[in-house]
Amino acid sequence: MDAPRPVPQSDAVIRPFWEACARHSLCFQQCAACGHRWLPASVVCPRCWAAGAEWRQARGEGSVFSFAVYHRAYHPAFEPLLPYIVAVIELAEGPRLVSNIVGSAPGEVRVGAPVRLEFLDIGDAALPVFRLAPQGA
Amino acid sequence: MSRAVIAGVGHTPLAARLERSAWALQAEAVRAAVADAGLTPSAVDGLITEPGYSQGVIEGVTPHFLRLGAMLGLNPRYTASEVIGGASSVAMVQRAAMAIGAGLCEVCVCVFGDAPSQAEGTWRYGRGDDAAFGLFGAPGLHALAAQRQMALYGTRPEHLGAVAVTMRHHASLTPHAQQRTPLTLDDYLASRYLVEPLRTLDCCLISDAAGAVVVTSAARARDLRHPAVRIAGFAQAHNLTSFAAADYLTELPARRCGPAAFQMAGVGPADIDVAELYDCFTIVVLMQLEDYGFCAKGEGGAFVAAGGLGLAGALPTNTAGGLLSEGFGGGMLHVIEAVRQLRGGCGARQVSDAEVALVSGHGLGMNTHATLILSRN
Repeated sequence: MDAPRPVPQSDAVIRPFWEACARHSLCFQQCAACGHRWLPASVVCPRCWAAGAEWRQARGEGSVFSFAVYHRAYHPAFEPLLPYIVAVIELAEGPRLVSNIVGSAPGEVRVGAPVRLEFLDIGDAALPVFRLAPQGA
Repeated sequence: MSRAVIAGVGHTPLAARLERSAWALQAEAVRAAVADAGLTPSAVDGLITEPGYSQGVIEGVTPHFLRLGAMLGLNPRYTASEVIGGASSVAMVQRAAMAIGAGLCEVCVCVFGDAPSQAEGTWRYGRGDDAAFGLFGAPGLHALAAQRQMALYGTRPEHLGAVAVTMRHHASLTPHAQQRTPLTLDDYLASRYLVEPLRTLDCCLISDAAGAVVVTSAARARDLRHPAVRIAGFAQAHNLTSFAAADYLTELPARRCGPAAFQMAGVGPADIDVAELYDCFTIVVLMQLEDYGFCAKGEGGAFVAAGGLGLAGALPTNTAGGLLSEGFGGGMLHVIEAVRQLRGGCGARQVSDAEVALVSGHGLGMNTHATLILSRN
């Protein structure tokens, strides 16, 4: 039997992010005072320390800030996925997040390549993952 | 300018498996360092420790210094544990220098030790949300850094390989090193990827090992066994925002704490005779060469390919083999090797006329950094 993939372990600060993901909506925080946008979730604006951040939905477009190709599984759930691609994605709106690139062989991925959001359902949760955007799109 | 010095150093053997607890290794290293200084246990009035990776998880409920101090029979005037990952060993020496300088204690022992072969292995797993995407451990974070630098600066696999090959050569000249089997660039390029673009040979060893140093005042050291090595300058800088920072994968906090440490010591990059750079992965050595100003940004690869890290190179680096080949001493073995080079007498690996050394610590992904500048005079 396949080992279950680890699910996000949210605390109260991060939970709204994952609750939105479960509804297939990728959200970041934006400061009501200074307009700064960020991930991961914080209790204050990391730039001006104002409280009262607003959750905003991302368009789902971004680019590959960097990526790494795992040739070894450090958790049994990832063994069937080898080699799999972990990436840091920079959203068009600015915030960055750790994610996966799906649907491409490792040799096709480049730093800076445009990507599009999709969701991978895992039980009751959903992971925001990315696919290389079609050429010329 | 600090008035603190390092008067004693000591460590255990380094091996994949020593069949001894981390506590026993730490105690041996402490005993060796205090004896090297020509002191006895009753002289020790300061204790600073780092729990290590296996103990940090398993023994985390009791503060590490409390249990180790009890086993060593110490009731010190000053104690603490550092938990900033691979920067902890350098940070311990800094904390000791500050405690000595403030008169909080007079003879302070700093110790790192770990026995990963005796641990359950939970330390290998990722934490929090990163694990959901399969981002586990330090290799993944450093692979992300290597990939981005390859894209931005043209860093090549041969550059990373040159670091691994040089460290192995230095280890071959070091009797206590864990991995002394000769390594060529072809061997490196033929080795398998772990987390691409990093190969197994880009990653440090895993070791059962402990190391300790004795920090005291210049005045107290005057009648001790070895000429003291002066703690000439030190600084820390940290990046707690990780991926949110503009240059996270291409720049280390060393860019900020390097100049501060140089300024305190009254030296610059050109004055460094020996560098002991934290080398959990080859890519981190390249980054530090650039961020400390030993070469321009993006030119670390060319620097190492030209033999810059060799014993006769522009910057003799990790002269005992570092984490990559000497063994994993948590950064404390880097401090110890710098002291030995400045004392002289390192045999085949001795850097001639070594007077000023730089030691770095780098930890928790790429979040923490600490710099130490040591001087013979």
